[in-house]
Amino acid sequence: MKNLPDVTEQLRLLRENYAQQLPAKLAQVEDAFRQRDDLIELPNLRHLAHSLAGSGATFGYPALSVAARQLETLVDAALCDGRPLTPKESDSAAQLIETLAREARNPMVPAPAPILPASNVLETERKLIYLVEDDASLATDLSLQLGHFGYIVKIFETPTQLLETPVDPLLAAVLMDIVFPQGDLAGPEAIIQLSVARQLRTPVIFFSSRNDLTARLAAARAGGATYMVKPIDVGALIARLDNLVTDLPPEPYRVLIVDDNAPLASHHAVTLQSVGISTDIVTDPMKILAHLDDFKPDLVLMDMYMPGCTGAELAAVIRQLDNYVLVPIVYLSTETDTDRRLIAMQLGADDFLTKPITPEHLVSAVSTRLRRYRVLRSHIEQDSLTGLLNHAAAKDRLATETARAMRQQSCFCLAALDLDHFKNVNDTYGHLIGDGVLKNLAELLKRRLRRTDIVGRIGGEEFVVILPDTDTQQALHLMNELREAFSLVRQRASSDLTFTTTFSCGIAEYRLGANANDIHRLADQALYQAKLAGRNRVMLADSDEWREDDD
Amino acid sequence: MVVKSLERILYVEDEPDIRAVARLALEAVGGFNVCICDSGKAALDAVQAFSPDLILLDVMMPGMDGPSTLSALRQLPDLKETPIVFMTAKVQSAEVTRYRQQGAIDVIAKPFDPMTLSTTVRDIWNRHRG
Repeated sequence: MKNLPDVTEQLRLLRENYAQQLPAKLAQVEDAFRQRDDLIELPNLRHLAHSLAGSGATFGYPALSVAARQLETLVDAALCDGRPLTPKESDSAAQLIETLAREARNPMVPAPAPILPASNVLETERKLIYLVEDDASLATDLSLQLGHFGYIVKIFETPTQLLETPVDPLLAAVLMDIVFPQGDLAGPEAIIQLSVARQLRTPVIFFSSRNDLTARLAAARAGGATYMVKPIDVGALIARLDNLVTDLPPEPYRVLIVDDNAPLASHHAVTLQSVGISTDIVTDPMKILAHLDDFKPDLVLMDMYMPGCTGAELAAVIRQLDNYVLVPIVYLSTETDTDRRLIAMQLGADDFLTKPITPEHLVSAVSTRLRRYRVLRSHIEQDSLTGLLNHAAAKDRLATETARAMRQQSCFCLAALDLDHFKNVNDTYGHLIGDGVLKNLAELLKRRLRRTDIVGRIGGEEFVVILPDTDTQQALHLMNELREAFSLVRQRASSDLTFTTTFSCGIAEYRLGANANDIHRLADQALYQAKLAGRNRVMLADSDEWREDDD
Repeated sequence: MVVKSLERILYVEDEPDIRAVARLALEAVGGFNVCICDSGKAALDAVQAFSPDLILLDVMMPGMDGPSTLSALRQLPDLKETPIVFMTAKVQSAEVTRYRQQGAIDVIAKPFDPMTLSTTVRDIWNRHRG
């Protein structure tokens, strides 16, 4: 049965195909009808009618089948007697052919409104959730909770309601209860029906107060992606949804190509782009620093011999930068002398690729290193609890962002966040529950912020958010939205006890000439002001502070 | 007695549209192993290599029609007993009786519903074997 959604789709295609061919077939019928007095040609009309009669209803045209059958019978009677159609029969036949034409425009299953192929919908927009739950208060509560994490929830009270609604092309997932007044397994049964009847391509999460094997089996048979037992842990549900609704495709790998030979550099760039790697080219090695900061490469591919400095020297310079101690550096070179290669490696390169190199070899050598680098970097940079950047990595990014803003004369804001009375949470509910709160905040920040925003956990309950190309008013508005959303998130302490918590936030905007430490200090001061003013609020850094600072 | 389950179906049909939808109905929905022929003659060529458990025959086809294909199939050594079902629009009882006399075990009405064709075929098979 697993093929059913696929069958529905194929069937739709066959129907479309049949519908497209119908006008031509009807033209053949009319043509044959015009030649009805020729007894040699008359069987052709019978055959055409027979064919329409036997296929119409299969492809959604039952009335067409009926009319074609009458036409076939009528012609068949004349043929059996070995005579042409009488004038009266001809009139009837003409009327039946008109009916055919009318019914051909009128398929029984109203041709399902063209469903947008999933690829037409931006992945980031796919956050619509269908929630099927007969307990209205639970439904409303879940809907609100999910809303805080950027999901739009449409509630259905019964599985029947769900079945009667056309599936929205933006649908990302279905949350389905198991037990309804309509039946102890009404939820999974409806999902099976939906899969049969329509194209349900989205994952389904079942939840229930039932925890028995029968219910779990029913959910599994209906193709459920996850089974959760009530009461629902919203944090766990969000984490699962985020996994299922993969609306954040992995960031493409970035390779910086350093080569004074521009055509050759472009050639390598095109080769790498063909497998989805994004590239940036530096033809003047003296300009590499700016490219490093702006492009933040995952790997540097460089020519060994260039004017101004050698590749080996350049590698040594890259290694002096804290952020790039780890980045793989790969030489492209005609160098085959092992000693010279060794020296270059000692100066910080990771590998040699010998020119000329085939595109396949280049892609393969680069891809392997890129994958390893990303994994390695994530281990080093991520906070293990929340998956956000850790303290050191967040500070690095802040430094990079400051340098970039200075060079490009752009703006950015830094928001410093701190959970309110977090010690109380830990003391009251225990550290595990406290960790849950931290994870929930991290999830919320990740979900609600742009990909270009940088989020880090820099201490126990302290977080920072770097908002590139954002001014203070935008940042204030955004952080206030997040603060309100978070204050409404129900944190689960136990199966029957929930609580809410809040954070305070201070925002500082980059000003020309400031360094990373200045900005961080000002954001922290604003955060302190927010705490003093009663917590659960967002404060902007005092612009006077900047003036004092300038003096 | 253990009833052999229905797995291999040979379908003979001259209409390309119906062939496509029948393949979908029997293979994807029903899970059968299906061989589809566009004429009685093609069926005679393919049938021994495919060795079907059951044959579905369209009644009205140009050239060899369903009944003559059935007779020709019965001449082949391994096909004396293979159950054959006619697919036809004419399902009045007199005609069904006549088709039965010609050697069909049952008749399936056309046009058929692609979502239920497999169930119909399986029911016929179980009645016939049971």
